Amino acid sequence: MKRRLLKLATSVVATSALVASLNAADVIKIGVQAPITGKYANEGQSIDNGVKLIVDQYNAKGGVLGKKIEVVSCDDEGVAQKAAICARKLVNAGVLAVIGSYTSGATEAAQTTYYRNGVLQTSDGTSDSLTKHKYWTFFRNSFPNSAEAEFTAKYFVNVKHYKKIAVLSDYSSYATGLADATAKAIKNLNGNVIYRGKIKSGTQNFTAVLTKIKSLNPDVIYFSGYYNDGGLLRAQQVQLGIKADFVGGDSNDNPDFMKLAGSSAKGTYLINVPTPDILPYDIAKKFLKDYKAKYGMMPASIWTLLNIDGLRAVLYGVEQTKSTDTKKISNFLHKLKGFPGITGPVNFRSDGERIGGGYMAYEVQGDNSYKIVYK
Amino acid sequence: MRQSYKIAIVFLIVMGFFPLFSNSSWLAVGTTFLIYSVVAFSQDIILGRAGAFQMGHALFFGLGAYATAILNVHFGVPIIYTFIPAILIPLIMAIVLAGPIIHLKGDYLLVATIGFNIIFIQVIQNDIFGLTGGPNGIFGIDVVRIFGVEFMSQTAIYYMSFMLLTLTLLIMRNLDASKYGRAMFYINKDDIAAQSMGINVRYYKLYAFALGSAIAGAAGSMFAIQYSAVSPEAFNVVQSIMFFTIVLVGGSASLPGVLIGTFVMFVLPEIFREFATARYLVFGLAMILTMILRPRGIWPVKFGNIPNYLKKDTK
Amino acid sequence: MDIFLQQLINGLTVGSLYALVALGYTMVYGVMKLINFAHGDLVALSAFAGLTIYVEIFGEGTNSLFIVLSVFVITALIIAFVGVLLERLAYRPLRTAPRLSAVVSALGASLVIQNSIMLIWGPNMKIFPSNLFPSTIWNLNGVVFTFTQVMIMGISALLMVGLYIFINKTKMGTAIRATAIDQDAAKLMGINVNRVIMTIFIIGSALGAVAGLFIGINYRGITFDMGWTYGLNAFVAAIMGGIGNIPGAMLGGILLGLFNAMISGYISSEWAETFTFVLLVVILIFRPTGILGETIAEKV
Repeated sequence: MKRRLLKLATSVVATSALVASLNAADVIKIGVQAPITGKYANEGQSIDNGVKLIVDQYNAKGGVLGKKIEVVSCDDEGVAQKAAICARKLVNAGVLAVIGSYTSGATEAAQTTYYRNGVLQTSDGTSDSLTKHKYWTFFRNSFPNSAEAEFTAKYFVNVKHYKKIAVLSDYSSYATGLADATAKAIKNLNGNVIYRGKIKSGTQNFTAVLTKIKSLNPDVIYFSGYYNDGGLLRAQQVQLGIKADFVGGDSNDNPDFMKLAGSSAKGTYLINVPTPDILPYDIAKKFLKDYKAKYGMMPASIWTLLNIDGLRAVLYGVEQTKSTDTKKISNFLHKLKGFPGITGPVNFRSDGERIGGGYMAYEVQGDNSYKIVYK
Repeated sequence: MRQSYKIAIVFLIVMGFFPLFSNSSWLAVGTTFLIYSVVAFSQDIILGRAGAFQMGHALFFGLGAYATAILNVHFGVPIIYTFIPAILIPLIMAIVLAGPIIHLKGDYLLVATIGFNIIFIQVIQNDIFGLTGGPNGIFGIDVVRIFGVEFMSQTAIYYMSFMLLTLTLLIMRNLDASKYGRAMFYINKDDIAAQSMGINVRYYKLYAFALGSAIAGAAGSMFAIQYSAVSPEAFNVVQSIMFFTIVLVGGSASLPGVLIGTFVMFVLPEIFREFATARYLVFGLAMILTMILRPRGIWPVKFGNIPNYLKKDTK
Repeated sequence: MDIFLQQLINGLTVGSLYALVALGYTMVYGVMKLINFAHGDLVALSAFAGLTIYVEIFGEGTNSLFIVLSVFVITALIIAFVGVLLERLAYRPLRTAPRLSAVVSALGASLVIQNSIMLIWGPNMKIFPSNLFPSTIWNLNGVVFTFTQVMIMGISALLMVGLYIFINKTKMGTAIRATAIDQDAAKLMGINVNRVIMTIFIIGSALGAVAGLFIGINYRGITFDMGWTYGLNAFVAAIMGGIGNIPGAMLGGILLGLFNAMISGYISSEWAETFTFVLLVVILIFRPTGILGETIAEKV
């Protein structure tokens, strides 16, 4: 009996291993870890859509190295614990690389698991801490918070000459990191940060905090969190008659910000890398056209495009190294220089940081279009 | 031999051989099932046996997980040693927190425990003393190392969880046979009668809280190892409600009941991932239906520890 | 001073919303001794239903007193109906079951409603149009309040006074109070307990519906899971005031709103929730039946 059981067990294990290896030979699996539902759903879905679009285009041309590419998506809801679960799932599914996630927190929670299992990861997360471990598996496809913080500080102190600056964030590591870095950069330029506070994302009613800020009479309120809170903050700020300018960090750059702020959106400043529609590159225009044709709308924001550049770089690495050995691809990517990306040339440093980055400040116009006011 | 012993033994044998027939993704689900079963049993000690309406159990689960994570990541304590504080801290906190409110009646206790859970979440979200990592929690928890050997494969973690569950079942068995178990049983049936019989209701309820929380803490530690990350959402009130529901849907104070409850609440959603969006709807409907059709849970406990000659009177 | 007054207005606005929702919890608890965990989700459902009614029936951009009133009335009717349905399907079969079974059923109902919202309207945030109420803003020596805020406070106060009169001066109100004290005795006195329960579900759900619409109109962004936050706060308010006690729920709601605003404004917004729940636990320890709750010995 026992022996039979053992035989059965071994044969099951053997067949499943065989099936797994056959699978591995047939396709290259690319994971998507993104907030497909939850608060950041429209960003997450856009990233997922974008990846599938590019993969379809590759497969139409015969895939890479003669193998079809298969996308495995996992919804992390923008939540760290779910991200850790996704990481295990995607690793177990045998993916070569993971695109995502959108939020820094979810990215960081999954990072170690990918590193331990030798799975490549490319994310738009901007927390400086993402590259601090120098994991060979990690590549940032956006630019770090510290770059944005310095740009914002320069704009506030040297260009706008704000005398009293209020800095707000939510609790996420990304937003607190960006807010702290910005406050520090402002102080380095001898600017005056009079208030540094946090709001709880999703609580809707920010009047108490804003009233507190009102009593301090600042020239500007800078918010480093996400659009779903940013839009409401701006609306309630105007309602409370607080005259200060409102400047949103990169994650406020989303159509829902305008919808939530309504008539108060006009005159808001946003700071981000170039928006998709003003990217000068042909591949960018083609991608946007294809995306629109397939999904009937534009990608949610620049974050989708940054992630797509991460994906394209990885696939390029597979093609160039003629290998699915992640270590080899990683070595190749760390030396990557001037790869033509949708969001501009893609160059990686040895710690996985993307080199470059050109931030801009936009002023939101009456029709919700952007006007570049500083770059 | 009582029926529940037989079920426990069969269950342990099945779970013990499960890794032989499963790939690593199902093994991960299996591991989570084992860990959550331990938490569910610990909740059952408080809710099902002592009858205290505890709806903040994730707090103690989380204390254990954070104890392991903080000690390992910030202070470099090897995982294996963090088990001890991961058990002791929840135990002490249970006594400190539950002490002043243990006399509260039913729903009031329920609300107070929800309150504790929410405070806990806010404390860790505010990154207290720079230790808890704020809303994103703590990442990069080490793997278990014993004498230099790394136990990082899913199978290794599975068997560690398996050992923890076995230990928990042993504790439950001893509890049932002890005077503590009997006292809790009477308190649950009728605390005023128990009090007048000379049972120190407060003491035994606190005992249940302390024991349950200590076990939950151990499970938390295991959870931190399994995901090598901890974050606030894994221990919020929604999770507490889940543990609460597991016990009642399965059947309070019933070993197979709690196991079925855990399976239904944690494993089924994994299996039905395909119907991702609709599954919680079905889930909610199933909760209502179960309660209507089987108000005492899917597998209610049989009152095996009441002598037969007393049984006639119980409704 | 103007800052303090502003915080007072901020607190009263949220407090009024909490109070409206808290009434639903307290009435159901008073009569059925059941925490209706699905109540918060009815509030969320109301916001979504109201938005759809407005957009589909009247069309976005339209606006008149008649339209706004119709949206409120139709939504309140729908939510009241859902509330009654909820009681029929999820709670009535469990009236004689162990108390915790009904609690689990309520939790299940909460999941059902929340996920129905998600399936019908999608997981993304929906946004209320900004023109339902006039965007008038008054500014009195630096203290700002909007038309919407005045409506929230005014209408809530009116509804609460109306409810108070209804409970204390009408026959049905007396029946509700009698049922709350002793269901069996009420039955013996010829009170139709089922009708009483139906009535409290109609009233509670309709009040919650009004709160849900106010939330949508005032804060604009609505999500399928927002009912939980409001529900929890309202529930805490009900307990602080003394659960089962109608003026207590109103008082609890207002106090909780004010307490939150003052803590966030003067101490720390980061610890506001902690303060709230510490206050709750302290109240429970020293006055387990709440501020206005009567201290009656539990029946044995």
